[in-house]
Amino acid sequence: MGIPVSYYLVLSAIMFVIGILGVLLRRNALVTFMSLEMMFNAANLIFVTFAAYYRVLTGQIFVFFVMTVAAAEVAVGLALMVAIFRTKHSIDLDQMSSLKG
Amino acid sequence: MIFLEKNIADPLLNLAPLVILFPLLGLAINLLLGRRLGEKGAGVVASLASGSSFVISLLLTLSLQAHPQAFTLPLFQWISIGSLSVSWDMRVDTLSTTMMLVVSGVGTLIHVYAIGYMYNDVHHQGDVGRYRRFFVFFNLFIAAMMLLVSANNYLVLFVGWEGVGLCSYLLIGFWFEKGKDGIGNARAAQKAFVVNRIGDFGLLIALFMMFWWFGSLEFERVFNAARSLAPAQQGVLLAMTLFMLMGVAGKSAQLPLYVWLPDAMAGPTPVSALIHAATMVTAGVYLIARSQPLFALAPAAQGVICWVGALTALLAATIAVGQMDIKKVLAYSTISQLGFMVAAVGMGAITAGMFHLITHAFFKALLFLAAGSVIMGMEGANTVAHHHAGNPEEEIDPQDMRNMGGLQKRMPLTYGVYLVGALALAGIAPLAGFFSKDEILVSLWDYSLPIFLLLLLTSFLTAFYMGRQVLMVFAGKARSQAAQQASESPKVITIPLLILAVLSLLGGLINLPGVATLEKWLEHTVAMPEAGHFSPAIALSSTLLALLGLALAWVLYGYRSLAKLQQSDPLANYLGVIFHAVQNQWWIDSLYQRVFVIPYRYISHEVLAQWFDQETIDTMAHDLGRWNQWFARVLSYLQNGFVRTYGLVVLLGVVVMLAFLATR
Amino acid sequence: MMIDVGRMMLEILPEIGLLILIGVVLVLDLFWRKSRKKLGWVSFAGLLLIFVLTLVFVQPARLPQLTWGGMISLDMTGYIFRMIFIAGAALTVLYAIANDSLAGRGEFYLLLLTSTLGMCFMASAADLIMLFLAIETTTVPLFVLAGFLTRDQKSVESGIKYLLFAAMTSAVMLYGFTWLYGFSGTTQLYQIAERLKYGFVPQAAVVAAMMLVLVGFGFKISAVPFHFWAPDVYDGAPYPVAGFLSTASKAAGFAVLARALFVIFPLQTETWTLIVALLSTASMFVGNLLALAQKNIKRLLAYSSIAQAGYILIGVAADSPLGTSGVIYYLSAYLLTNLAAFGIVALVGRAVGSDEISAYAGLSRRSPALALAMLVVMLSLGGIPPFAGFIGKLLVFAAAIERGLIWLAILGVINTIVALFYYLTVLKVIYLYRSEEEDKPLAVSSAAGTALVICIVGIIALGVVIAPLYGWSTDAAATLLFLPR
Repeated sequence: MGIPVSYYLVLSAIMFVIGILGVLLRRNALVTFMSLEMMFNAANLIFVTFAAYYRVLTGQIFVFFVMTVAAAEVAVGLALMVAIFRTKHSIDLDQMSSLKG
Repeated sequence: MIFLEKNIADPLLNLAPLVILFPLLGLAINLLLGRRLGEKGAGVVASLASGSSFVISLLLTLSLQAHPQAFTLPLFQWISIGSLSVSWDMRVDTLSTTMMLVVSGVGTLIHVYAIGYMYNDVHHQGDVGRYRRFFVFFNLFIAAMMLLVSANNYLVLFVGWEGVGLCSYLLIGFWFEKGKDGIGNARAAQKAFVVNRIGDFGLLIALFMMFWWFGSLEFERVFNAARSLAPAQQGVLLAMTLFMLMGVAGKSAQLPLYVWLPDAMAGPTPVSALIHAATMVTAGVYLIARSQPLFALAPAAQGVICWVGALTALLAATIAVGQMDIKKVLAYSTISQLGFMVAAVGMGAITAGMFHLITHAFFKALLFLAAGSVIMGMEGANTVAHHHAGNPEEEIDPQDMRNMGGLQKRMPLTYGVYLVGALALAGIAPLAGFFSKDEILVSLWDYSLPIFLLLLLTSFLTAFYMGRQVLMVFAGKARSQAAQQASESPKVITIPLLILAVLSLLGGLINLPGVATLEKWLEHTVAMPEAGHFSPAIALSSTLLALLGLALAWVLYGYRSLAKLQQSDPLANYLGVIFHAVQNQWWIDSLYQRVFVIPYRYISHEVLAQWFDQETIDTMAHDLGRWNQWFARVLSYLQNGFVRTYGLVVLLGVVVMLAFLATR
Repeated sequence: MMIDVGRMMLEILPEIGLLILIGVVLVLDLFWRKSRKKLGWVSFAGLLLIFVLTLVFVQPARLPQLTWGGMISLDMTGYIFRMIFIAGAALTVLYAIANDSLAGRGEFYLLLLTSTLGMCFMASAADLIMLFLAIETTTVPLFVLAGFLTRDQKSVESGIKYLLFAAMTSAVMLYGFTWLYGFSGTTQLYQIAERLKYGFVPQAAVVAAMMLVLVGFGFKISAVPFHFWAPDVYDGAPYPVAGFLSTASKAAGFAVLARALFVIFPLQTETWTLIVALLSTASMFVGNLLALAQKNIKRLLAYSSIAQAGYILIGVAADSPLGTSGVIYYLSAYLLTNLAAFGIVALVGRAVGSDEISAYAGLSRRSPALALAMLVVMLSLGGIPPFAGFIGKLLVFAAAIERGLIWLAILGVINTIVALFYYLTVLKVIYLYRSEEEDKPLAVSSAAGTALVICIVGIIALGVVIAPLYGWSTDAAATLLFLPR
């Protein structure tokens, strides 16, 4: 009666792929961060799905931790972006390529 | 360790390691403090070290007299890998103590002599600072030789063997920047080393075979194993002993590896005396004596050795007849006498061989040292004449006998001892050489008639060339200014000469027929066939032949005036081409040069160094390096600084790996 | 069931200690406005204390045990790795004290300690949640540390690149974790292993999950093709941070890699051995070849550390006690070596003002001690006896040969030869090239000097006195392959 697990898995896979594409193709740093969030949430979705499937809470606990960590990462990322914005006046990731070779 | 083992037989025997340690201590003192000791000080230290070694050897001998059984003193475990276990032990038995006494005794005398001789030499050649170095090397040699004779296994013996080879190299090339073309001495040293190497290669193969078939390198073990293995593996033993012969031929200058010894005369005279007459070259003889059980099991090898020794003896004696350099005559004489010794021990007559080794050490060292005294006199006068005369005539070669003559009056003591040495070498009774040579001849008479005749002929030639030499150097009138003004050498030179002369006179007492002291002494260690009996017939014929040789020399060289010696040797008139041949050593050296040395140098330089190494391998290495750098440059395009590119490559990498896994 | 809180606290003594130390430094940072530099020494003293206490009190039992509800596995592996991390952190603190732009800022030490805390948990994590949290606790402070010098563009850029790359690979790894969770219904590593063994899980799916998980771990150890962040981040980050990243962080990555592969995927050994071997080969070649073309010493060290990761992966690929003990030995040696390297680079870089290799000319005359230290470091990296790097390589190659991966060992040896070229080039510049500034001596502060001395002595000691650490590594390796309970 409930929605089959595979639907969730497919959805999460789609989200994950969209996230990857976003990271690879977008130059704006903020959009990249959003795509990263998308990837994390895709994983969260699966965790919750299987938590329900196995009727164990472990997955849902995991989701809490993942969300916290993702938030921390983005916070740090944004702080770094602010730092670099002061000099480059842009958040275009392609412009941050002085380290190469 | 050393001092933990209590020797039940005699505590004195525990002092054995000191025979090696004293010379090492001497050389260490000379190395570290030599500058402060000054010239003569360094010499004294070295002589004391060598003398202490002699004292210890004497003590060991005395304590062995009470208990003549062999005594081994274990020092430490050296190698223990798998089934190979080699420990550094010292062996004190009658054979090794005999050698020790000879080496350290004669060695100490030569050390004292060298104090004076080298003092003169370094001033003559102009590098006073090198005096200390000489004595460091000299002590090192004594240490290495002691190591050789006191070894209890073949590997330690080999260490000593190599050590003496090294010292020989260092000392021959002592004046490395002098000599013919400024490089002659260095070349001689190199020749000695390389030729010795060839011999050492043979010895090493023999050692490998010993380990392979007998599983050990210790003397006792090897001999026992050989005895049990002999009937089955005759070929192995034959090969082993023949390889050892190669080593002996190298070290003891036998055919075909004797060519280094005449060239080794480029070293200072004490070196020639100690290393190339009395001690190092006798190492080969010692090796055969020590390995007598092995040789006894391979009679064919014994025959080969005997022939080699005899042929060498004859060949060298013929060459000695035609030499003009005072030291070269003695060098070829040494080769010849070594041939005697090798023939003797090869055949199994260990006592005879060792007896001759001892007496030869006495009179050959005496002869060399006296020759050095002569050379010193000539050099001194040479310099004086050159400076005082003020004429631009070139300095003459102080070693060429054609420039000498009449030295009997100028250097009477040297003349006296030289005469003693020459007579001893010629084998005139009752000097030492007579008894030892006679014993060898007696044993050969029983063994093989042809060899006996060869060696008899050699004895004749020996007497002849020694007479020739004595007459050329001391008799007649001086043939050059240097000879006219030569003067006797100082006491530090002449006293060792006197001592050695006494030993040459009385040396025969060591093993008088009938009393046979040496024989009984050595019997404790070496099994040998029944004692050679004294044969008056042989003794008489050999003495007669010797006298005949001396007489002939007198006829040719003493009776007539030698004033025209500079132009041609009287013998040349009689022998013509043959004399020319022996004067050029039968051209054997140039034969070796043509056949071996020149092609080898060619291959080494043109083929291997230039073509193979430089063109082929170097190019390959260079190209590889360049290829790497090109690859690096290509790869660095990936690291372009864009995060997105990085992410893309990661993704691609994962996809590739998954694809790879999927296909498996 | 009584939960013995005291005992459980004792079991994670190092982590508790670190936590307390963080608190102390935080409070002191608030109060000590003038003498902030002393914070560094406080952190160092604290780390030293923790090190000693751990050494004495926290020796694990012979057999691994699970504690804290199955989150932490107490075994020799975790123990040794914790020691490595704490030592690394202590040395990094010493280097930071010598670095003026970092020394006075309390946040630096806080972040460093937090990262170390995360690493300690990484070493002994036995649950997916714990693992993920530990990895993130380790990495997030490192983002900030990399971009610590906010006025330096390169530093911030390196921070951003590190963050993006880390986040991306973390997400991928997390996705892999979800599959593992999905197949087994639990997040405890050992239970997952059991359920994967007995459940009817399609092999392809497990292998895919393994690949995804490897992405995350591969990023941590900077293996190819997950290495792109390393050169840029080492180049831009402050010197002590680069040193810390290249050693302790990498070691942490190897700890979790080894544990994950051995524990969760014991059945897929052939597959992951092959994958790890391929990763190793790629890392060695790419690392060494690209290092050949470098003119900047920090980037050279970065590529060199990519290659070193390749060598260590050989030990992992060997999948044997000898291999794992080789990994641990190598990592310990590598910790000391690379920290020393970056320390020297820091000292010279700040004195000369440039990180180009050509700036090292004449160093042997300016400061013979530093030149000698660099000699030891480069030779140890190149695997020359009697330095520690040699033993590490020896063990790793021996393990590979023992398991029949002879081709891998051969490739390793070839790469060692190639690597020697650029190591020796640095030495050539130091010893053979002259420069005009030869006469000015190089100041070495006491902190940096102490750290360098410890490192160099350690390198030589580990290269010569092999038995103690080797014994521990072997014990650790044995317990890693042994399932508890």
